[in-house]
Amino acid sequence: MSEDKRKSEMVKEQDDGKEQGNGKVKESRRDFLKKMGVAAAATVAAPAITSTTAEAVSLGETFQTHFELMSDAQKEKAIARLEKRYTEQFGKQTTVANTPAPDGVLFGYALNIAKCIGCRRCVEACVKENNQSRDPAIQWIRVLRMERGNDTFELENLHKGSPDSNSLGDYGIQSGGHADKHVGLSGAAEHYYEPEQVPEDNAIYFPVQCHQCEDPPCVKACPVRATFRDPNGIVVIDYNWCIGCRMCQLACPYWARRFNWGEPELPNEDMNPKTHYLGNRPRMRGVMEKCTFCLQRVREGRYPACVEACPVGARKFGNLLDPESEVRKVLATKKVFRFKEAFNTDPKFFYYMD
Amino acid sequence: MRAAVFYGLFAVVTGGLLLQNMPGEEAAAQDVTQEVTQDAAQDAAQDAVQDDSSAVQAAPDTAPATPDATAEECFESIKGTTELSKKNNVVPKYGYPNVKCSPTTGAVLWYGDPYDGTEPMGEMPSYGDKTDGDFAEAVIRPRAEHLKTIIQTNMQCSVCHPSADPATLPNDPRQLMMHQDIVSDPQNLQHGRGAIWCFDCHNAANRDALVDQQGQEVSFDASYKVCGSCHGDLYSDWRMGLHGKRTGEWKVGGKKRWWTCTECHNPHTVQEHRFQPIKPEPPPALPRGMSEDDFKGADEHGGH
Repeated sequence: MSEDKRKSEMVKEQDDGKEQGNGKVKESRRDFLKKMGVAAAATVAAPAITSTTAEAVSLGETFQTHFELMSDAQKEKAIARLEKRYTEQFGKQTTVANTPAPDGVLFGYALNIAKCIGCRRCVEACVKENNQSRDPAIQWIRVLRMERGNDTFELENLHKGSPDSNSLGDYGIQSGGHADKHVGLSGAAEHYYEPEQVPEDNAIYFPVQCHQCEDPPCVKACPVRATFRDPNGIVVIDYNWCIGCRMCQLACPYWARRFNWGEPELPNEDMNPKTHYLGNRPRMRGVMEKCTFCLQRVREGRYPACVEACPVGARKFGNLLDPESEVRKVLATKKVFRFKEAFNTDPKFFYYMD
Repeated sequence: MRAAVFYGLFAVVTGGLLLQNMPGEEAAAQDVTQEVTQDAAQDAAQDAVQDDSSAVQAAPDTAPATPDATAEECFESIKGTTELSKKNNVVPKYGYPNVKCSPTTGAVLWYGDPYDGTEPMGEMPSYGDKTDGDFAEAVIRPRAEHLKTIIQTNMQCSVCHPSADPATLPNDPRQLMMHQDIVSDPQNLQHGRGAIWCFDCHNAANRDALVDQQGQEVSFDASYKVCGSCHGDLYSDWRMGLHGKRTGEWKVGGKKRWWTCTECHNPHTVQEHRFQPIKPEPPPALPRGMSEDDFKGADEHGGH
């Protein structure tokens, strides 16, 4: 993207921020809190407050403002508070970084679907790196399995389940295919597959995670701007600001957001103590979470965990603004497509084939 | 937990405290905690006070000090190719292991130290493109050492195979008396469709090394030079980073571990399988209340 366009977009975002972020949102959040308080007072006031010190969320945390609106001093304070709490809770020294977004970088991702063998190591690596809840299990990457080729054009399938053509009369009304069986598409994609070994002869695998859209529907849908684009193009969430309304989950066409319905369970020994405020710090109940291209790693120069775990090297990651980067070379030399391109979300996640 | 604090706090607020005209949310929280004396809000108040007074207090270093006695073994890429032992305390401050292994498949899932056991890759043959500068920081994991262990000995190949004059060796496919675990039927070698034979890649004059098309000796660590002499397009993609796996830094010119051809592909069976089939990690949990049978029904009807 050209520098001018980026700038104009940033200005636009700032303007939006002035209208909504600085003024109205704060006001509406406060109103919301007050209403909640009034409503709650009548019902669940006293018993709900019992809590252990290790897990308790401090008042300071409850009342902190949106991360983007905090002053540096407030950020430092908030981070120190979190580090102390996580260190105590998980029994190991935990850091919550606030590494700034590197300049002149727009992160992009390319995935070779001709290579993917569907082994789900990326999924497990993501869970381990990003401190996802183990029970209820939350996974940010979903690997879809599809039948290779398309046999639904077979005559037998064409008329399967459709009404007898006599009953429609002979008016050229198309029959064949129905709600349960598409014609012309293999249609079914499942992610609960469990074969003995992968790759299977008759399957292709299609991993889906957050596409880090240039024009993200989830950001538009968030009523409190708890989710937003960072300067590197990654869509992040301020977990403390999220009110858990799940509007973003509904808006996302890629099924990329996960909601913490229960108290996340993260065993102490499995917890990754190197975290980032906007990335993999442990989440709480009632908030949304999603892939951030391992923000805590990529802002420090490392590949995301899924890239490092992929045993066949199907995953490529780099700076879209650098023509020498791996992703740019993929875009220049391979057959590339974007998922659900018709939605004009402009993902920075590309699928390619050799 | 947050909700609990919300509810508890506002129970108090509605009980009589003023919360109008908040000067700032942080400040308001402190005001409230100073005034609140009810038992109900005591826990929350203590938290806030502790937070504000001792936020920067040094945290106890509770990282495990002793390495794990039962070292986990996991494999990278394809099983039987490269094994790794889990070592704890790679960065003692946080207690990172160098790798984390999958409990179900035994595969490496997570690299705390992406350069564990690597060494600089060295000079790359020039190829007429502009990517040569990217090799300066490239590292690989040496393979020669590993080959000794997969044949279950600590001997080099030359112990059994003294050097021979390539001219005197029959370069025709014949039944092998040994190494049938590597090539089960040499008449049906799954590489090169019958056009090549062992000594086209293995150096007859020195069995501890490979040989390229020009008869030049090539180390097992640099097997890509041999592979690339036939598979030029893939070699070119690999040099650019479009083919094959890399770990480390994403920056162009950053320090990266390059995975060589034989770390992902078994050259003796590559025609049968591009990648050796492996066991996948377990699928995600089904939605609550959904049984395996429900799901199977849904799949038949093309649902997702």
